[in-house]
Amino acid sequence: MAAKRYTSMAYASADEMTFGVSKYPVKAGLDLEIGAGYTIPEINYAPRPEAGASKEKLVKEYERITTDIMERMVQVGFPAVILETEHVQQMSNNPSWGAEVAHAQKTIMEEYHDEYGIKCALRHTIGDIRENRDFLQLRGDKYSVFLEAFEECAKAGADLLAVESMGGKEVFDYAVLRNDIAGMLYSIGCLGSIDMELIWSDIAAIAKKTGTIASGDTDCAQANTAMFIGGGLLNKNLAHTLAVLARAISAPRSLVAYECGAVGPGKDCGYENVVVKAITGMPMTQEGKTSTCAHSDVMGNLIMQCCDCWSNESVEYHGEFGGTTVQCWSETLAYDCALMNTALETKNDKILRDLLMLSDRYRDPQSYVLAYDNAYKVGQAIVKDGDNIYLRAKNAAVECCNIVEEGAAGKLELSRFEAKALADAKAALEALPDDMDKFMDDCLTKYKSEVKVFLPENYGL
Amino acid sequence: MLDFTEASLKKILTRYNVALEKAMTPEEAAEEIYPKDELIYPIAKAIFEGEEDDVIEGLQAAIDAGKDPIALIDDALMVGMGVVTRLYDEGIIFLPNVMMSADAMLDGIEFCKEHSETAPVTKGTVVCHVAEGDVHDIGKNIVTALLRANGYNVVDLGRDVPVDEVLKAVAANNPIMVTGTALMTTTMYAFKEVNDKLLEKGYKIPFACGGGAVNQDFVSQYALGIYGEEAADAPKIADAIVAGTTDIAALRNMFHKH
Repeated sequence: MAAKRYTSMAYASADEMTFGVSKYPVKAGLDLEIGAGYTIPEINYAPRPEAGASKEKLVKEYERITTDIMERMVQVGFPAVILETEHVQQMSNNPSWGAEVAHAQKTIMEEYHDEYGIKCALRHTIGDIRENRDFLQLRGDKYSVFLEAFEECAKAGADLLAVESMGGKEVFDYAVLRNDIAGMLYSIGCLGSIDMELIWSDIAAIAKKTGTIASGDTDCAQANTAMFIGGGLLNKNLAHTLAVLARAISAPRSLVAYECGAVGPGKDCGYENVVVKAITGMPMTQEGKTSTCAHSDVMGNLIMQCCDCWSNESVEYHGEFGGTTVQCWSETLAYDCALMNTALETKNDKILRDLLMLSDRYRDPQSYVLAYDNAYKVGQAIVKDGDNIYLRAKNAAVECCNIVEEGAAGKLELSRFEAKALADAKAALEALPDDMDKFMDDCLTKYKSEVKVFLPENYGL
Repeated sequence: MLDFTEASLKKILTRYNVALEKAMTPEEAAEEIYPKDELIYPIAKAIFEGEEDDVIEGLQAAIDAGKDPIALIDDALMVGMGVVTRLYDEGIIFLPNVMMSADAMLDGIEFCKEHSETAPVTKGTVVCHVAEGDVHDIGKNIVTALLRANGYNVVDLGRDVPVDEVLKAVAANNPIMVTGTALMTTTMYAFKEVNDKLLEKGYKIPFACGGGAVNQDFVSQYALGIYGEEAADAPKIADAIVAGTTDIAALRNMFHKH
């Protein structure tokens, strides 16, 4: 299907948004309704390194993981859970492996659902395997294997289909290490969006055919790369003001999935999901303080503010004092959800939302922009030119600069370095043309010459 | 909407990067340590600023004035890069500045080579790769840039590199060190195979590993493994090796932080 662009906001104001409630709840899996008035823990895990040696070992590993989680949820009395299996490459390169894992997991989940009535769903996140050793190969031979992995997993038991797609990453990796804001805009906002439209039209068709849910995509490959390179306050690898610009630009890119038929819940590591929720009204998974097992961030509480599902990003399966890692982390997630759900039931949700948001609001420019009121403004800038993938990404970046500047005039402290990086980026943005064709032509010439691994044919250019 | 007072905010968080920021700007700090030679100064400054064209212009002027092109690599380009890496290590400039300077330096080295019959001498060769099955290479790209910036010859094998290809590169290039990066837990297992085959062939060279899911405990499981938490550790490990510390236990003692 052609992308149906968003040109207006789903919510009339930022204050309408809260956790556990979305405009368009999604029914999925075994009696689950997502974004329908309660939050749901979504546990994510990785097999131990040696488990990838064979299909049998891998399936067995996921059976252990699934049983451990379901058992712990029942033992502590939690009413609902989502399991997210992010494919290791063997499972997507060999769709039958992914399908066998999905089948094994779903069988166990059905047993628990039958016996205890626990509501649950299984998300499979297919690996973006569309590359060879030297280049991205987004439209080449691997594309059919990629789609086959979605279909086989859907048929075998996966309820929610997702991916963290890589379109634009080859240019982004070059640009982000050179403070190149135009390159970031081109890679995420344009190349990423072009690729998203291709794949999400096909994934949505597979979901429709198999009776499953096309859930969503995150800009992990780019905006999270910027966030990770940016690191903590003392790291010297990337100004956090540039990391948040990558994040703002990623929102219109991740939006494309929903414009092509995805319905949520958006995937956990999309910190841009709060903007996407404001625009689409669809439920979103987020991760923050409970994903410290996978990575650090500077907005662990804040990012919980409007989540519908609450995730840990990923944890390697092994033993801890309190059980296996998946048991410990799923229990932690579920307790957080119990608190949010208590706030919802007692009508204290907006108070808790604001406490979560405020505790990190001024911690960093990244958290400042993603505070729900500011995220809403980024969303408004996007839908203003919603029909033009370049202009809306540029608008998001400019609005992000304005928000940080306004914040810095108040209680948001910036280092001199962060302020200079922001000023340089804003000047670079102001120098860009308004005409998308000109921007695309200029960038094509520049990055074909400077980035050896950039193949325009990957994007039909 | 809830908000803090200035006083209450300070009880909740501290932006240490703002609180501890150095008074001197990067440009002022660089100016203090540029070489004073009037032919070398503009080259070093152009390296710091990441301006390739100015680097070439400065080199041409120095060659025209009688400087040896190959000597200029050490005497001008590496000196300029030294300013950059020193300020990066001191936390005064950020990684993108180093990357842009490294691009300019590499252009300068190529220019010097084109104007000379002799080959430049480097501090040593390092073989770099991303684990087999893993295509995430931004970490490796940072490592190779930082190694080159510090005067090392890098044999960059790229990403998703078969174990045997690493072995062949070691046999062909006699490196002082091998680096391996990986993002995923399932691919980092290939490091053990690299380690075992290196030992099998009698190569007892340090194998510095890092990246996404890689941690010190994992790297410590194989005999040649040295864990690098940051990409910037790679040139420091190489420097330690060049300075004479080749024993794995001693290197671990220096670089394992946990």
